[in-house]
Amino acid sequence: MAQPMDNVIDQVAQLNAARSLVLGDAAFYPQIVNGILPIVGASTRLELRRWGANFLAETFASPMLAVAQKEQLAPNVLQTIREILELPETDTTVLQSLVQTSASLYPLVFRHVVNHPQDSKSWETMTAIKQDILRRMDSFPCPVKLCCAKFIQRVVQVQTPGLISDPRRPDQNETSLAVVPRNHALLSIPNLEAESSGLLDRLLGVFQEETSDALLVNATLNCLAPLIRTRQSVANKIINTILEFYPAKHVHAPFTPTIRVSVKSMERTARALLINILKKNPNHPLAGRMQMYIERLMQSRLEATDDASRKRGLPNEPTDGLDNAKRARLHALPPPMLKIPPMAPGPASFDRLFTLTEDTGLSSFDVKQLPIDLVLKIVVPLLSQVHDSTLAQAVDAVRTRYQTITKDQNLQRQLQQRAAAQDEDDDYEPEYQPMDVASVISEEASAVAAEVADLQPELVSLGPFVLPQPPPLSEEEAGEIGRSAVARVFGMLNAAETSPAPAKGLSQQKLGFARLAGSTFDRDAWSVLLARLATRAPAGLENDQPTKGDAVRRQTTIADSIRETLYRFILEDFRGRLNIAIIWLNEEWYNDRIQMKSAANQRDDTEEDSEPTVALNYDTWATRLLDGFLAYLDSRDIKVLVRFLSEVPEITIPITQRVASLAKDPERVNLCVQSLMYLIMFRPPAREMCLNTVEDVYQTYEESRPAAGKVLTKWRPQSTVLKPANDAPESSESKPTTSDP
Amino acid sequence: MAYDPRRTNSGTSTPQPPPPPPPPETSTQTDMASAAQALETANPAGAATDSYKLKFCTVCASNNNRSMEAHLQLSGAPTAFPVISFGTGSLVRLPGPSITQPNVYSFNTTSYNQMYEELCSKDERLYRGNGILNMLDRNRQLKWGPERFQDWVPGVPRIDNLSKGDKGAIGTEGGVVDVIITCEERCWDAVVDDLMNKGNTLNYPVHVFNVDIKDNHEEALTGGKAILDLANHLNEAAVAEHLVHGSEGWANGTGPARQSFDEKVPEILADWQERYPNLPALWTLAWL
Repeated sequence: MAQPMDNVIDQVAQLNAARSLVLGDAAFYPQIVNGILPIVGASTRLELRRWGANFLAETFASPMLAVAQKEQLAPNVLQTIREILELPETDTTVLQSLVQTSASLYPLVFRHVVNHPQDSKSWETMTAIKQDILRRMDSFPCPVKLCCAKFIQRVVQVQTPGLISDPRRPDQNETSLAVVPRNHALLSIPNLEAESSGLLDRLLGVFQEETSDALLVNATLNCLAPLIRTRQSVANKIINTILEFYPAKHVHAPFTPTIRVSVKSMERTARALLINILKKNPNHPLAGRMQMYIERLMQSRLEATDDASRKRGLPNEPTDGLDNAKRARLHALPPPMLKIPPMAPGPASFDRLFTLTEDTGLSSFDVKQLPIDLVLKIVVPLLSQVHDSTLAQAVDAVRTRYQTITKDQNLQRQLQQRAAAQDEDDDYEPEYQPMDVASVISEEASAVAAEVADLQPELVSLGPFVLPQPPPLSEEEAGEIGRSAVARVFGMLNAAETSPAPAKGLSQQKLGFARLAGSTFDRDAWSVLLARLATRAPAGLENDQPTKGDAVRRQTTIADSIRETLYRFILEDFRGRLNIAIIWLNEEWYNDRIQMKSAANQRDDTEEDSEPTVALNYDTWATRLLDGFLAYLDSRDIKVLVRFLSEVPEITIPITQRVASLAKDPERVNLCVQSLMYLIMFRPPAREMCLNTVEDVYQTYEESRPAAGKVLTKWRPQSTVLKPANDAPESSESKPTTSDP
Repeated sequence: MAYDPRRTNSGTSTPQPPPPPPPPETSTQTDMASAAQALETANPAGAATDSYKLKFCTVCASNNNRSMEAHLQLSGAPTAFPVISFGTGSLVRLPGPSITQPNVYSFNTTSYNQMYEELCSKDERLYRGNGILNMLDRNRQLKWGPERFQDWVPGVPRIDNLSKGDKGAIGTEGGVVDVIITCEERCWDAVVDDLMNKGNTLNYPVHVFNVDIKDNHEEALTGGKAILDLANHLNEAAVAEHLVHGSEGWANGTGPARQSFDEKVPEILADWQERYPNLPALWTLAWL
């Protein structure tokens, strides 16, 4: 203790030299460690204890020293540490290093004891050190406390079961509770596990404190990653604790800069830890909650205000040398406002256009009287004197005037053209002849030319340019354009189809009967649009010009081409697009009704002889569609067929006949009978029709007898076709042909 | 007894014990013999006069501009801090003739000198003009070459760096640092994440700071000075702690008025931030 100072300095120098040696070659560690222990032990001077503790911490942390050698050195060192701790040691630096050393030693000693159950002394010393550290932790100064937290993390990591990578090679497994044999003499697995569970709670306790200590929180957060990664059994508990921890809630006003630094650091460290976990295991069961937590941290108000004040603002000086502020002329007078009078009335002329003064004397002055060189002498110096903005104002004024004039003239021209077009309409021949096209165009061109010639006022050079009218579309072209428009709508249908289905289902459910056709831009909306385009759009037009065969044909062509496309579109995937078919057929049917009604009204209004005809589309297309997909129906497609039959607006005899034809195929007999039965049960208006059909089926197709017979006995027990079958079930096979009268 | 092994070993050429602070940085290759000679005299003397110093580590993306400027400032300061430096990028990237053609080198295996020579031969005028050559020239006088943070194994002795004459190598022989200062938030994230991945096996606490510095020469210079300022304040607190709990104070025990160095860190950073509002800072306490 009482060594002179020089002696101590000398000793420290020697020790430093020894340290240099082992840093250079780790093989000297055992020799040096055993050599220095007496010099730096419990009863020596503070400088030496500091040096010694620091050196021990470095030694047992060193990746250069083999584990086996550390294990060999451990017992002696443990004893020294225990003695220094029991001094009791009070120097922060020494304590810090000793706790660090203990944290490094703990797994080593644990492993050593697992393999050498007889070495109870080592374990006893280690346990004593552990108890001492844990007992005094709360009274330790802050830096030591931090190291204690790390020590606890180490103990928990060791005393929690880890992964056994290879049971045949015990020496290669990580040190954990999993390598302890069940019947170990010193180590009792349940006790160790209970202890580590308690210690983990103590470690995580920092996240539940009323007021957080940023140092301890950060230190804990930063040492949890290995635990979470390698100790499955406690990982979720740790993560859940962190997810409950919001740094901003654990500090109290006033928010000094120091508090702000602390909160931000805790937030960022928690975020870093969770990101580290997520990176290792993106499919972690708690990944969703972790993401939410990270996002919530980002929105933390404290950090937001903090960042706003910290982020670099725009640089004050111009970066490109073209800063506006520098170019501003500070002494310039504000430009005088120019008074612009409205243009003089009367026909527009250049001189009126450019006259910006109200002085009659000036405006009537003829500049042409002056010789040109005199004008130049006056104008050039004047231009250099004129203020920029005054000139700009004047030019703007003239421009506005000019634009007004041209607009007026365009308007006039259009009016004239419209009048001309009306004239032409009178000459319009109903019989459309493509041969005329060329002559019509040339006529029009000449008409335009004449108009331009007419409109030559004094402003010859400023005459507005008029685009020649486009040639009228031929029927084919119009049809082509119509079809391409339809194709684009179908494109929308396809695009909408690929959009996620759940959202659509949701919106539909929400809207229910309140739904408006086409209010949502989903697939259904587009299909309604298409169906109405096909049905309603040309509806009135057909009746307007009943005599003009051409026009009617054109209209129907467009409507029918939409129908044709819809038909093909549905058949491409009739199972998936059945609802489009139903929307469409409902529209067709409704349109047919409306048309018939309006036709009836018309007939009432006008005299008897005009017989308005209505082209009915529903029947045609319903049967066509049914024909189209019946062939592809599978015996299991009962739902598709029943849905179609139940949701189309009207069942007609052709439809039931088509359904009946299904019975031709022995595999689809049931499909046919069941769908008819459904109609009989749930569609009363079609019941009779369907029962008739079932009778037909019963009579025509033998395979249908069992099923169809049941339906008939239930719904039409008095049916004549049943009679012979009921009388003589055995002879039913020969009956049907004869029983048909 | 600790003396003997060193004497027997000093003649062998394998791992060289620490040489003196490297004199002029004319040659990076220190003569082995002179280093061994100098060891006898310089090492004990240096250890005796040394007051306590924090060990620093500076980190940027390529370990060329910002971290090296800070490395220079810290190692060249009157206190001559122990300092090492790293980059967190996957490769060392230096500006090339256009933004899409950077000059790319690998970490740990390319020296600043190699880069200097190569760029000199490629287009001396360009790289002199944009300051790259000056930067590399500075760097090659500080240490051998850029090192990658993710490849750093804390605790592995850095004796070689000392014998090569790296600036700031004295004090970092043990391969551990007390303070890491990154120069960009991305690097701070990478450092904190990497330390978690390394498993905290040393149980050694380390303060990780970020000081956001734009990647250009002027900002690097300003930032380097600001980092030195931060380092001075941190070190001041650490030295004070050693004194308080050391020879004068240890017998009296710890008083509530005496805050430890670690406890002062948030306060020091907050004060520093007030003085450098344009360099947004961040901090955490991690483990090596």
